[in-house]
Amino acid sequence: MVRMIERYRSRTRFLHWTNLCAFMLLLLTGMVLFVPPLWGVAAQGSWTRLFHRVGAVVFIAGPLIFAVVNWRATLESVKEAFNWGPDDIGWLKAAPRYYFLNDERAMPPQEHMNTGQKMWWLIVLFTGVVFGVSGGLMWIGKTTLPSGVLQWSVFAHDVAYIVVLPMFFVHIYLSVLHPLMTGVWRSMLADGKVPAEYVKSHHARWYARISGKQAESE
Amino acid sequence: MAEKSILYDATRCTACRGCQVACKQWNENNEEWKTGQAKLTTNWGSYENPPDLSPQTWLKLKFIEVDRGGKLDWLFTRQACMHCTDAACVKVCPTGSLYRHELGFVSYDKSICSGCGYCVDFCPFKVPRSTRNVVTGIAKADKCTLCTTPALDRLAAGQEPACVKTCPPKALVYGDRAQLLAQGKTRVEELRNKGYSSAYLYGDKELGGLHVMYVLNDSPEVYGLPANPELPAAAVAWKDVMQPLGWAIAGLAGLGLVLNYVMARKAKIENGELAKK
Ligand code: HEM
Ligand code: SF4
Repeated sequence: MVRMIERYRSRTRFLHWTNLCAFMLLLLTGMVLFVPPLWGVAAQGSWTRLFHRVGAVVFIAGPLIFAVVNWRATLESVKEAFNWGPDDIGWLKAAPRYYFLNDERAMPPQEHMNTGQKMWWLIVLFTGVVFGVSGGLMWIGKTTLPSGVLQWSVFAHDVAYIVVLPMFFVHIYLSVLHPLMTGVWRSMLADGKVPAEYVKSHHARWYARISGKQAESE
Repeated sequence: MAEKSILYDATRCTACRGCQVACKQWNENNEEWKTGQAKLTTNWGSYENPPDLSPQTWLKLKFIEVDRGGKLDWLFTRQACMHCTDAACVKVCPTGSLYRHELGFVSYDKSICSGCGYCVDFCPFKVPRSTRNVVTGIAKADKCTLCTTPALDRLAAGQEPACVKTCPPKALVYGDRAQLLAQGKTRVEELRNKGYSSAYLYGDKELGGLHVMYVLNDSPEVYGLPANPELPAAAVAWKDVMQPLGWAIAGLAGLGLVLNYVMARKAKIENGELAKK
């Protein structure tokens, strides 16, 4: 039997699912405003905009509640995302050969998060704040704020959208669809486990750190 | 088709507010009365009433008091959609419910308004107004359609707009834009010769040409109009820069992923699983 290692705890996976659903709802109901002919009738009432608000509450409240309940784990993850070193530069240099040509030789050893995952974390944090602040202003301040603030809020919201959308595609592609990443999706979307072999080759630092402890299971 | 316009001559206007009433009546903007939401008016020190535009008030007269060396000058002006050629509202409206009419001005199809309120935020004249539930976001905008509201379309029926029709001193006229432009210029010349040295025709060049032009016997600022109305910079940055850039980036990302898939698959088939360390 293949030895498996738990990569994400169940509550992390639950948060990820919750946020994925909220994000998809926001993405689609926002896209209707961006390209209204997509949905035609749906955009005509205020319905898509009402659902956008429902999505926004979940999207913001989910991670906040998680962060309060699991503050230690959250803090560690945020710290890791901001913790960059020479191996990250090496990773960026070697990544094209790895992802395009299946050549892993130059890839430096990685921690629990690799450089690409750290970048996605930073993008999610950054755009999440921009979305939340500009969206909150447009939601609550619509009748009271000066029009200039509202004008630039739409702009900021759109910038965040344009940054996050392609990166979201890349994220899904790399975790689910890329020819090398068979089964990795399970770490977040299913039982949270990945093969120990995979951890050894992709997250050598993390592997070294945990193999001392009793973190493995059959 | 030749572009049409309204020419408003503030120097002929007696502020009878007939246009304001005719507008409400023709466009059936009496919802506040029907639903019992109408508020009694209060005297706030001016004949101006109601004090501001609203989803139910698309046109109102504005009263301005100017102190000219101890002498009071009482100026009247009209407050309603200016029907810009480079209309910010049309540019930012996501659903296309605000659109350029073939006769040049800005029409509005309320049925497809999604209530985003961008027109309210971006109009340089602060014309469109919206009902809005701040919690749910449910909203609908409204503004003057130059009497082209579906089912209440006076122009299609060969009539002039209701406000123009009712104006007793003919301070409002409707017709071919080119002709009214010439007429307005002549009138401004006349006023200048009479000693109104800052007389001005507002709407000739502003925002690519307005379809409601004003003959003023003083500068626009005195009448509370912006001297140089402009498309807000945020509208240009958003619609002309960011959105096309967004499409380009999304397209490139998509292409990159397809290319990656093809190459990585080929490499995997050729080299087996991995070129390992
Ligand atoms: C996080 C909290 C968020 C809040 C509070 C929020 C709120 C808003 C508000 C108030 C609007 C203006 C239209 C309206 O009044 O309905 C809007 C538009 C929009 N939102 Fe959000 N939003 C959030 C997150 C997101 C996310 C995560 C996405 C996409 C992934 C997104 C995509 C969009 C798009 C594309 C638009 C339309 C912009 C345009 O017209 O070009 N939003 N949002
Ligand atoms: S005045 Fe305002 S509402 Fe009227 S056309 Fe110009 S931008 Fe649109």
